[in-house]
Amino acid sequence: MAHFVTSKDIPADGEHIDKSKLAKPMMIFGGLAFVGLILSVYLLFFAGSYQEQSPSEAAAFITKPVADAPGGDIRGNYAYSWLFAFAYFVTLSFGGCFWLILHHVSNSGWGVSIRRLMENLATVFPWMAIIAIPFFFPQVQSKLFEWMNIHRETGFNYAAAKDAIGGGIFGSYAKDGLHASHDPHDHLLYVKYFYVNLNWWYVRMALYFVGLGGFVIWLKNKSVKQDTDDNPSAKSTLQLRYWAPAGLIMFGLSISFIAFDLLMALDYTWFSTMWGVCYFAGSVLNSMAVLILVLTWLRSKGYLKTVTSAEHYHIMGKLMFAFIVFWAYVNFSQFFLIWYANITEETRYFLLRNTEGWNVANIILVFGHFAVPFVFMLPHYMKRKPALACIFASYMLILHILDMYIIVIPERAPSLSTMNGFEPTLWFSGAFWGDILAFVTVGSFFMFILLRNLGKQSLYPNRDARILESANVSN
Amino acid sequence: MSTSAKRVYGYLAEYESASALYKAAEKVRDAGFKKWDCYSPFPIHGLDNAMGMKRSILPYLVFCGGTLGLITGFTLAYTTQVVIYPTVVQAKPANIFTTAAFFPILFELTILLSGFTTLFGVLGLMGLPRLNHPLFASKQFKRVTDDAFFIAVEARDPNFNADATRELLEEAGGTNIELVEEED
Repeated sequence: MAHFVTSKDIPADGEHIDKSKLAKPMMIFGGLAFVGLILSVYLLFFAGSYQEQSPSEAAAFITKPVADAPGGDIRGNYAYSWLFAFAYFVTLSFGGCFWLILHHVSNSGWGVSIRRLMENLATVFPWMAIIAIPFFFPQVQSKLFEWMNIHRETGFNYAAAKDAIGGGIFGSYAKDGLHASHDPHDHLLYVKYFYVNLNWWYVRMALYFVGLGGFVIWLKNKSVKQDTDDNPSAKSTLQLRYWAPAGLIMFGLSISFIAFDLLMALDYTWFSTMWGVCYFAGSVLNSMAVLILVLTWLRSKGYLKTVTSAEHYHIMGKLMFAFIVFWAYVNFSQFFLIWYANITEETRYFLLRNTEGWNVANIILVFGHFAVPFVFMLPHYMKRKPALACIFASYMLILHILDMYIIVIPERAPSLSTMNGFEPTLWFSGAFWGDILAFVTVGSFFMFILLRNLGKQSLYPNRDARILESANVSN
Repeated sequence: MSTSAKRVYGYLAEYESASALYKAAEKVRDAGFKKWDCYSPFPIHGLDNAMGMKRSILPYLVFCGGTLGLITGFTLAYTTQVVIYPTVVQAKPANIFTTAAFFPILFELTILLSGFTTLFGVLGLMGLPRLNHPLFASKQFKRVTDDAFFIAVEARDPNFNADATRELLEEAGGTNIELVEEED
């Protein structure tokens, strides 16, 4: 056992990362993110699309199909790529929020020395709102969310019939229009109107980022203030613990409903009560993988060596392992009930994702995301040895790409082709490059913000009352 | 009074605190003893390292037990549902893909056999249940469930020596050193 850490070993003002070590990676990621964002704005808003509008329809953001090749809808293709990249990286920051809030709620001592890493990962979440901005624009929404098109069109038509042009912009007339319609799908949207409506959708999207984002910023600021407190006390520790349960509720609501609003809403006729928890499982699992990688990177640069040890890797590895099992459990529960009941409304999701090539991808996911890591992560040395833990953390992050890809991308070709009036298609081959571009762009943005957060203050809360307990943890 | 012959079990030494026990354990470990143990009213973190204990083989037993349960469940489901009596329900396949319906059984059997292996494995490895332990002959040892910390070094350890071992335990801070004898 390593030597017992005492308060003499903890520097008075903590460990600060050397800015020169951050400069190079930050410049690379920042540059990539900058170029990628410019390209993405072009691809999302100005590139070729097969939708033409009359001026009055454009005022109401109504889109109309025009006959041409379905795969050529670059804007539509890229909207899905962007959603996929957003869904991937927002899970990582969401998980950071979860671990941070859980750490306070459970009054944990073991993780105090890595709590600042959780705080830095969690505070990437409010920044992800920048990546979410395109989803607020009807040009992007019309490609992704069919229900919004229906709401806008029925609202617009209903308003036009009532001589109230412009009233349909935010779907104010949509409810009446849907009620008056004789299409059974419109009736579905009429019944769901209390939740699935445009105004409430905008309010919700803002609430996720303002509510949870604001909360984790508060948690971090409170903790950072303790570092330089002239009269060190446990006051802020206790205050954080007192308020954290409220954040846990906010977190649960945010992650479940953002998954409903952005991912489940890709097909408004489909529903699954397991959806939120499935998304949550992937999020929590992979953000722990990110924490393991960040910790190893910092240790390789010579930081955090006094306050972290193999014990921390062991605990983090165990938590990651637990959520590998949890992920499989909830995802299987979702599949199992739908497969067993075999109800038409529910099976659509899995029918599409088990057709042709997607079936192979799904089977790879089952074995790659659960069976293989389950068996290999079982021995204790897989979690305790940083190198091995890192290999598995990276492996899980790669499989998480596949997980998110299977959630978002299979919707793309069938939706866009039918929306534009073509025969349903399963796959647009050229759109794959857009997926890579969006992933690299959002990923670089994510890394840039994470590194920026890391450089701002001490790498661990050096005046937290339990830093020594954490440094000497044993399990 | 018993007239039967007695056999030496080993030395029992008391230590005043958990940290004293921990440090003494390191000394006994470094002296190369194998047949000895620490006794404390509560678990002490890191004591197994201080005692130089190897990791238990129990996890490997449990893994084998769990795998056996999984294979049992799979064989049961596959044999009944595919080989012996294929049943088509709602046009679902009657081949290997039908086993999705039996995942709960595969899961339960895996857990059941892992649980059994854990319980019986732990009892077997610890030599439980047993009716008596030689240390119960010591009066002071009763305090081990209350406020006392002990180290007992068994006489069957090849390094055991009537004088040297006593000296070692004393040097490590042991008090009330007692030669425990068991009735043969």
